[in-house]
Order: sequence, then C-alpha cells, then structure tokens
Amino acid sequence: MKKTVRVFLIGLCVVGILFSLGVAGAAERSLTTNWSWPTYIDPAVGSDFSSSTALVNLYDTLVYPDRKGNAQPHVAKSWETSADALTWTFHLRPGIKFHDGTELTAEDVKFSMDRLTTIGEGYGFLFVGKIASSEAPDKATVVFNMKEPFGPFVTTLFRLYILNKDLVMANIKKPGPYGDKGDYGRDYLLTHDAGSGPYRVKEVHLEEYVLMEQNPNYWQPIDPQAPDEFKMIATTEPVTIRTMMSRRELEITDAWQPTESLEALDAIKGVEISKYYPGNEHYFMLHTKKPPTDDIHFRKAMAWAFDYKTEVERIWPDSPQSVGPVTRTLPGHDPTVFQYHRDLDKAREELKKSKYAGQLDKYPVEIHWVSVPADNEKEALLLMSNLADIGIECKVVKVPWMSIVEEMANIETSPNVVGVFVAPHYPEGGSLLESRYKSESVATWEQNEWLQDPKFDQMIEDAIGTVDREERFAKYGKIQHYIVDLCPSLFLFDQVEKHGYQATYIDWPSSGGECIPIMGYNFAARFIKVYPEKRAKLLK
Amino acid sequence: MKFIIKRLAYSVFVLVGLSILMFAIARVVPGDPARMALGPRAPEWAVQRLRDEMHLEDPIYVQYYHWVKGAVHGDFGRSLVTRRSVASDIKEFFPASLELALYSGFFMGLMGIALGAVSGWYKNRWIDNAVRILSYIGIITPSFVFAIFFVLIFGHALQILPTIGRIPSSLTPPPRITGMITFDALVTGNLFLCLVGLKHLLLPAISLAMGPLSQEARITRTTMASNLDKDYVAAERSSGLAERTIMFKYLLKPSLIPTISIYALDFAAIIGNAFVVELIFNWPGLSRYGMNAMLQKDLNALVAVVMVYGILFMVVNIIVDLVVGLLDPRIRLGEKSSE
Repeated sequence: MKKTVRVFLIGLCVVGILFSLGVAGAAERSLTTNWSWPTYIDPAVGSDFSSSTALVNLYDTLVYPDRKGNAQPHVAKSWETSADALTWTFHLRPGIKFHDGTELTAEDVKFSMDRLTTIGEGYGFLFVGKIASSEAPDKATVVFNMKEPFGPFVTTLFRLYILNKDLVMANIKKPGPYGDKGDYGRDYLLTHDAGSGPYRVKEVHLEEYVLMEQNPNYWQPIDPQAPDEFKMIATTEPVTIRTMMSRRELEITDAWQPTESLEALDAIKGVEISKYYPGNEHYFMLHTKKPPTDDIHFRKAMAWAFDYKTEVERIWPDSPQSVGPVTRTLPGHDPTVFQYHRDLDKAREELKKSKYAGQLDKYPVEIHWVSVPADNEKEALLLMSNLADIGIECKVVKVPWMSIVEEMANIETSPNVVGVFVAPHYPEGGSLLESRYKSESVATWEQNEWLQDPKFDQMIEDAIGTVDREERFAKYGKIQHYIVDLCPSLFLFDQVEKHGYQATYIDWPSSGGECIPIMGYNFAARFIKVYPEKRAKLLK
Repeated sequence: MKFIIKRLAYSVFVLVGLSILMFAIARVVPGDPARMALGPRAPEWAVQRLRDEMHLEDPIYVQYYHWVKGAVHGDFGRSLVTRRSVASDIKEFFPASLELALYSGFFMGLMGIALGAVSGWYKNRWIDNAVRILSYIGIITPSFVFAIFFVLIFGHALQILPTIGRIPSSLTPPPRITGMITFDALVTGNLFLCLVGLKHLLLPAISLAMGPLSQEARITRTTMASNLDKDYVAAERSSGLAERTIMFKYLLKPSLIPTISIYALDFAAIIGNAFVVELIFNWPGLSRYGMNAMLQKDLNALVAVVMVYGILFMVVNIIVDLVVGLLDPRIRLGEKSSE
C-alpha cells in the first residue's frame, strides 16, 4: 500500500510541476495573428491572403500603396513611361540593404521579375504575357519592356517582391525544372527569406507558424511601438481563437470566423471587431449561354425579383449592396451605375418580354451553391423563393468547391446560377472587370457567365491599355454601365472583412474602417503599434 | 520467427492492395490537382508543366508505375500544398503525431486498465456503475468534443494549460533526434523543455485517449468480471492467497488479452483519427497534413499518408500478436499445432 501511495504522490508532484511551469512569453512587443495554412514566403509561389501578408512584411517593392491604393515611391524614387507606353523606366533609391547586408540593385529587381515570370505561379499571372523583357542598364535603373500598353502596370508592382539575387542563386538545387537555374531557389525560399523588408524570417514551422523579427537596419523609419516580432499561426479553429484572444496570446484574428464566434470575441473585455471593405464582391453569376438565363429579359426579371434587403441585412450583415460589378472601395468604381432593388411588377414585366414567358415550367433554373460558407445556402434558398414569386421554378443544389470549379470549366456543365466571391488582382476596377467578364477568363471559377462579348473585350482592352489614370477610370465607368445593361450577374454585395482585435493594447490603422484595398497590406506590422504595458494591465 | 516472416509477407500484399486502392480513389475525386495548386490565374503552361511533372495525363497504370518506382526508393513525389518532397513532410510531421499517440496510448492503457480492473473487481457495486456511466459517455463522445471542452475549461476559464502548439515559440526546440520534442529534450538533458513539451501534450493526448480508454475499461471489466466466477479464482481464494495477489497475479493477466488486442487497434487509430484534435491544438501532425492533402487534392501526399497509416496498423498488429502470445501460452501452442 505504501508503494501505491508513493507512486501516487510522485505523480501528483509531476502534475504540480507541470501546472506551475512558467515559460517566458514571446518578445516583449509581439504581434500574433492567425491564418489558414499554407503561408508561402516565396514571392513566386504565394498569392493567397496569408502568403501576401508575410510577403508584404518580408520584402520591399518598387512602389507602395497609400490608403486609396495609389502607387507611391518606395524602392523606386521615380519612374517614367515612353510615349507609346511600351517602356517603363524606374530609378532606384541608393543604399537599400537586404537582410544579409548586401545592397539592393537594379539587377535584383530584374532577377525577381524574371524568376516570377519563369515560374509563373503566385502573382506571376499579373506579368506573364505582358512583360516582353526586363533590363538593368545600371545599378540604379531598371527597365521593363511591355508587349502591349498596360495602364495599371505600376499598381501591379505592389506584387513584385524584390529578391536578393546572390542569396537565391547561392541556394539553388540542381537538377531542377528550370535548366541552369535548377529549382530557382524554391526549396530554400520555402523556409527562408531573401528580402529587405521591415521584418525577416526567424522561424518557419510548416503547418504551425511563421515567426518574423524586426529588421534593425531597415531603411525606412519603423514606429518605436511597432512589434519586435510578428507571428502568423496556422489555425482558424474558433474555440482555439477565442481562448487565445481571452488569454491575450493573439492580437488579431483571421477574417473567416463565423458570426457566432465574432459575437463571442466581441464579448471579451478589450476585444473589438474591426470592419473594412477590401474590394471583394459577391455575385450571382448567371450563365448567359444556357436557357433560360441566356435571355436578357429573363435575367433582368431575376434582378428585379431578388430581395437585396434581406440579403444584406439578415444573411450577410454589414455588407452593403453592390453598385454594379466593381466594389465601391476600389479605385475606378462608378457610383452612378444603376442599382436594382426588389420590384415584382417590374420583374413580371421583364418576364413577359422573355422568350420563355408562358413556358417557365419547361425551363427550371438550376442554382448551385458552394458548401462553404454555410450562409451560401440561405441566399440560394432566398433566390429560389423570390423567383417562385414570379412563377420561375428552381432547383437548388449544394456543390463542394472543387466540383464547382470543375463544372465551371465547361460551358455545358456550368449551372444557370452560382454564387461566388471574387477579389481584385490589382487595386483597380479594371481588375474585376477583366477577370469577371473578359473572354480569356471563361472556364475559370471567376466567370460562370460565359459572356464572350467581343465589344466588351475590345472596351476593356482599350481601358487597361490607357496609361492616363483619369482617362482609364472614365473608360472603366462606361464599361460598368455596359455590363449592368447586359445584366449577366446579380451584383449582391461588397464583402465586409471582419477581424477580432485587441483594441486595448494595439493600435491598428485599418481597424477604423479605412483600409488599403490590396490583400496583405493592412497587416504591414511596422504600422501597427503594440503596448505591452496595457496588455500586462489587462492580464492582472 | 517464422510467424513474423509469414505476417510480414502477408503485409506486403495488403500494402500493395492498399496503394492501388488509394491511388485510384485519389484520382477519381473531381478537380484538376495542378490547376487547384496553382490557382485559376496561373498561365496554362505553368499548369501543364506541373501536370507533366506529376504524369497526370498518363493512363492511371503508368502513373502508378511512376509512383511505385519512386516509392521503392523512398521518393513519394512532391506535395502540391507544401511544395516540397512528401518524404520530407512525413519525416517532419509523423514524429509529432507519433509523440501525441504515444502519450495518448500511455494514458489510454493506464487509465483504461485501471478503471476496468477496479470496475470488474467491484462488480455491480456503485463504483462499477459509476465507471460504466463514465465509459459510456467516453465512448459516445467524439475526441474533438473533449478537446473543445478541455480548451474551454483549462485554457479559457482556468488558463492553466497551453492550448496551442508543441512548445512556445520563445523556446528553441531541442536538436532533432527522433523529432519527438519530449524525448529529444530528455536525451539532450534539457529537462525543462521536456516538461514544457509534456505540458503542451496533456490536453491533446487526454482528449484523444478519452474514447478508447472508455472502451478498454469496459472490455477489461467484462473479462475480469467473467473470470472472477471461474473455478481457478475460487481455488486460489480457498488456498488463502491475498486478494491483491489474486487480482494482479492471477486475474488481471488473463483478463488483459482482449483488451490488448483492442488497445493495439485503438493506438493505431489514434493517429489516424487525430486530425480534428490536431487542428484544435494547432498540432503539426501527420493526420492534419493528411486531411489538408485530401481537401486540396494533394495526390502524392494523400497516398503516402495512407500508406504510412497502413504500415503502422500492420506493425502494431504484429506486435499485439506477439504480446498476446506471451500472455497466453495456449495461443503460441495453437500457432505451432496449426503449422
């Protein structure tokens, strides 16, 4: 018996030690955020939200966006374009150093562009097919030769992250798929950075976290209250997030927390919910080549019948109804574009003009909704109910995301209606117009409409080929009116992005609602202030 | 020895069958894996290069041939999600899952057998009824529900145990020997880090163990209760042996045979079923990796993960057969007589 008691007491001691074990926390001034994995820190691979956030902190770019998405000088102190808009020349600031102390030169910029367009992944699509060649005539000048004029070119450079050529080339693995460049440093850049940004990689644990530390030699001023360490952890599990927020182990949550979780976070002392509009829009994409949605009057009848008020007030609260195909926060949006509202008389009028009037029972509308997020089902059922009011029959089908992508790859299998969120690739209305309706984007998940309209293609090519910003935006406006007249989609709402954040001890510029409409830039840690003493007070 | 060789030979056939099955299933899931990996805007030539690299447009038997050719050399191809070799991923993630399973298995065996033995010894008394109710709750409750409860109680309300990761990022992991932090820390003499790792393991390991331990408690209890009525127990009692000696020496040992058979399967299943628990505790393990592979149609990773689990199941089953043979000599004799 004595032995049993002894074993029990030893066990108790071990448990006691474990519970009392204190571990020094992270750096004094740290900022922890959570994301869904993967987070790629290779500029030629990453392009999702978490990867973009990491890249913005680790690397520098030629230009940097202001709060309206306009390009401001950064590594490039100035730039000019030729009269035919086919040659762009950038003049670099001298003295910018990479994390290993070597100087950033035009050769590094050229290398970064060549690597991005050769690998073709990540944000490579912004430049592939547009850049004919890049040159570095001297240490401080880089020249990009375009295949055709591309007006928004400077804004796409927010995604050209400048790599340290020597460091990457010293770490390539041979043989690899890129000939004499081996693997082009892809393996190395999975867990290391080769940048000059305000933060540098400290640790990367795949599927667990990316930890960055402040670059003490950064060439731009960093706020003294900015975090010493910036950690991106790989979980979005609501109960874990809620627990970490209550323990002040997490400062800003991801953007995918469900409504119930956000309500629970809001109830934690010191935690608030930030809301801003990143430029994404949610659409019901209507198949314009498949009966009965191939008829413009039928589509307009649907647009008049839908209950937008319920959609934005009950199903997706805080998201305002969209005005046309471009979100209101995106530069180039035209606020004068016509906006539909629910009017059943007008819906019936349009339906009468449709070639399917009188034979609606023969042409049921197939509505496919993506299984995640769950609210997609509510809006699909809402549309079904609204269309039933004017006699249109619907078939509502739940489809996993992978199947939707496969369906949309084929004109025959694309459904009549599918609800999808789309984000701009560069901060201008032209990006959404191009990816949503240009003939080149059919068969991708960004276009179920199969619009294939030569006039539209010509209009958008003309607009994005215009270098003058005002002139280009005027052309975007005309295109938005043109699209609304064709009614190929129901423009549902501008997506609101919500994050829980520790309002008591961090000062996050984007929390006020004014955001940079480019994914990742709202999480540039050097602009976020952290007050550890306020955190300590909260923990007492 | 002959028995082990025979079992290993059977295992090879099973593994080949498993690989063919998984290879085929992974490829009938809708979606182009190359396009999914590179995104809708990636140029077609980049997507095509990846398809070629992965032989995705070859007939399935040609694809399988390429896979087998690589697999026998330990090369399972590249992961579409992590963008590196699947073998490196397995090397990285498997030890985390194994460590979790080992602690979970330890807790499962210790508590399951102890509760079952006590319950069987005090058959139909209040203690037996209490263990029965607790066991039923344990069996019907999925491990992720326990995980959520534990996080809310020990992480959120009491704030006494960590709920995320293997060690805090402020600490440097020990030099990699096995990849299991507590073991590596201990071997390198870092007791503090070992204890910190243990603290991080507590909640996920117990969450995973709750279901299987309840099952083992029930099985141990039932076997013990039925053995209690056997003549040999009555004979030992009548010969004046102490109750403790009867219980631990003569009753518990034969009663453990069915428990150990189930224990082995539960142990292997722990790793396979751990994905939600790994997700909740942000545990970088193989189950979570496998789950992500499935969701993102990461073909090479998916097949490799299933193969690892398959091998694990086989190894554990062979070990169990050996242990059961040691516990009950009649089983060994039966094996001999059948040969």
